[in-house]
Amino acid sequence: MARISIDPVTRIEGHLRIDVEVDGGTVNKAWASCTMWRGLETVLKGRDAREGWVFAQRFCGVCTTVHAIASVRAVEDALSLEIPANAQYIRNLILIGHALHDHIVHFYHLSALDWVDIMEIPKADPAKAASTAEGCSSWTGNSRVELQAVQDKVKGIVASGQLGIFSHGYWGHPAMRLSPELNLILFSHYLQALDFQRKSCQVVAILGGKTPHIQNLAVGGVMNAINLDSLATFNMDRLGTLKAILEDLIPFVQQVFLADACLLAAEYPEWLHYGRGVTNYVAVPDLPLDAKATKFDLPGGVIMDGQLSSVRPIVNWKDEAFRKAVTEDSTRAWYQHGGPLQPYKGMTDPDYTGFKEDAKYTWVKAPRYDGHPMQVGPLANVLVGYASGHPLTRKWTDTAFTRIAAVNGLKVTPNDMQSTMGRYLARSIRSAMLADLALAHLQLLTTNILDGDHTTYNLPQFPKGEMMGMGMHEAPRGALSHWVVIDSGAFTNYQAVVPSTWNASPRDEKGVPGPYETSLIGNPVVEAEKPLEVLRTVHSFDPCMACSCHTLDSSGAEIAQVKVL
Amino acid sequence: MIAPPLRVAVIGIGNVLLGDDGFGPLVVETFRCRFACEPSIEIHDLGTPGLDLAPYLYGKDLVVLVDAVQAEGTPGTLSYYCEGDFVSRSARLRVSGHDPGLWEALAHLRLAGQSPSELIILGVIPESCSFGAGVGAVLLDRSSIAADNIANLLVQRGVLCHRRQIAIQQNLWWLPPSGAASVTAS
Repeated sequence: MARISIDPVTRIEGHLRIDVEVDGGTVNKAWASCTMWRGLETVLKGRDAREGWVFAQRFCGVCTTVHAIASVRAVEDALSLEIPANAQYIRNLILIGHALHDHIVHFYHLSALDWVDIMEIPKADPAKAASTAEGCSSWTGNSRVELQAVQDKVKGIVASGQLGIFSHGYWGHPAMRLSPELNLILFSHYLQALDFQRKSCQVVAILGGKTPHIQNLAVGGVMNAINLDSLATFNMDRLGTLKAILEDLIPFVQQVFLADACLLAAEYPEWLHYGRGVTNYVAVPDLPLDAKATKFDLPGGVIMDGQLSSVRPIVNWKDEAFRKAVTEDSTRAWYQHGGPLQPYKGMTDPDYTGFKEDAKYTWVKAPRYDGHPMQVGPLANVLVGYASGHPLTRKWTDTAFTRIAAVNGLKVTPNDMQSTMGRYLARSIRSAMLADLALAHLQLLTTNILDGDHTTYNLPQFPKGEMMGMGMHEAPRGALSHWVVIDSGAFTNYQAVVPSTWNASPRDEKGVPGPYETSLIGNPVVEAEKPLEVLRTVHSFDPCMACSCHTLDSSGAEIAQVKVL
Repeated sequence: MIAPPLRVAVIGIGNVLLGDDGFGPLVVETFRCRFACEPSIEIHDLGTPGLDLAPYLYGKDLVVLVDAVQAEGTPGTLSYYCEGDFVSRSARLRVSGHDPGLWEALAHLRLAGQSPSELIILGVIPESCSFGAGVGAVLLDRSSIAADNIANLLVQRGVLCHRRQIAIQQNLWWLPPSGAASVTAS
């Protein structure tokens, strides 16, 4: 039996340690440990509730906007404050822009190299690669000339021996199985993706005033002044610019990103069976379609025990069952309090005692839903939508299944999606859906403005006395909720139950492990020194460990370690 | 023929909620308020972006990046690095939480043919990066010098940049009200 410790896991946002016990080439025990303390909740206590979102968007250096949105929604919920329809659409477009950026970066820059072997690229035949790529999609960026140029760049790097950031890949690993041509195609998209992730940032910047920290939010709506006659405000010109950017971005998402995820699924079918993990799912409704937030373009719901037919819809943000069901347990996390607490009563007092696998071993609390661990993320989002018969989810999921079958006849079912590869597929399906929805919500905004509604903000009024509120957002990494207690306009408690907390959850008071931990059980590990298979499953969740501290290290010290104990 | 304007980004990196780690954001805000530049100059407080730095470096002629650095020396020491200073080290993948993703972002952009033509890193040695505090007195004092130095760098490269006759009020929202007053008074 071998014990492998990966600290930190690379190609994620933030800081994560994974320990696994491997017996006979298979993982039989796993621990996920977040090695950094967030603690921003303590900064928010006593702050003006109207300003909370500005601080909340510094929860994380990467997923900034999602916390800003959840924060204003939580305060609006406490006040029962409705926001104008324009504000809903503008927020929705920002969220879509952010999510597309996040999903593109995750698929290509943070995880593709778990499946793509760069060292195989010099062997590829660019002409053959071009004709293969043309068979997969109508994308125009797959020409022989383009692929040849990428291959030449890679040949240059390999010949120089200066692999730079690529020197730590598990090249030549037996679990890497793509042909040289497919490696070339995917790596060429990896480079093209740099341009498209930038375009999705522009969507956020145009509407939010600035990225990565948007400036246009307010409790009560958004601060975008709409005046079709003024150049200085939000006008038809801006709407036209947004449309042009989206029309450039959407084909990359729907014809390249989705096609590449389908290609990986077809080429690595065994990964539709590994990594199932916790099969309870929760997704929250998002992209509201009206001022009162009664209808949504992304459905929410709860699925237990992998039974898609048992889906319980969460129809809106007022859902009482969700509010009652969520708790956080810190029996195994480095906080003073132990057993489950409702988030409004949540505590964040640190108590660091070192990594002890039988006691406390992480900074992440264990969120539970009616006492159960839950998986969140694009997979939960897609499964809930599919199970509820949501037409857009069905359209793109079925498109993905058809594309996979077209590669090599592989038949994929919604049940197969409950796997490591399913999480990659779900992220690309969700992106294809969001690409459609981006244009739809831009149209809703434009129509509403042309109909003469220019309101974007309703003034909040804070009564004396204590009130509580919860704001939801279906973020790129899954269900996010901010829980606030406000007294006379200032926060007296603030707890964020974030997607990576659900997924990176440690064991709870009953010893039940969380989704990362469970999903690793049964994973193969062919070479203990190169635990590529462990990374594939961990990366499938798109971990983001709320990196809250950093300095540029000029000493060049190597920090990542894989230890086989 | 008139040359097209230089594509320049002045970028502050760091967590404003972690004491001296907030030096980068403080310096770019100070620079923005004290100097007026031609409109094509982008000024960003990027927080702790990780790999998401790439879009802000994409296709630039010049990037000036202000950050806290881990180095031997007295807190408050300002150092300038160009990309070449890191060449031997950039061969390594930097993966800690103490890593802004700079090398990885640069390597990606180089492959895509869109890396900045010139990169200057203005680094400061921090005194204390404790949670919830603002930038300490030593680094606060250095922030004005750093902002002036950025202006000099830009002027040397032909960028239109001049000191404002009346500085704009700084927006240092993350500091408690008393702290903000002491900063603007300096």
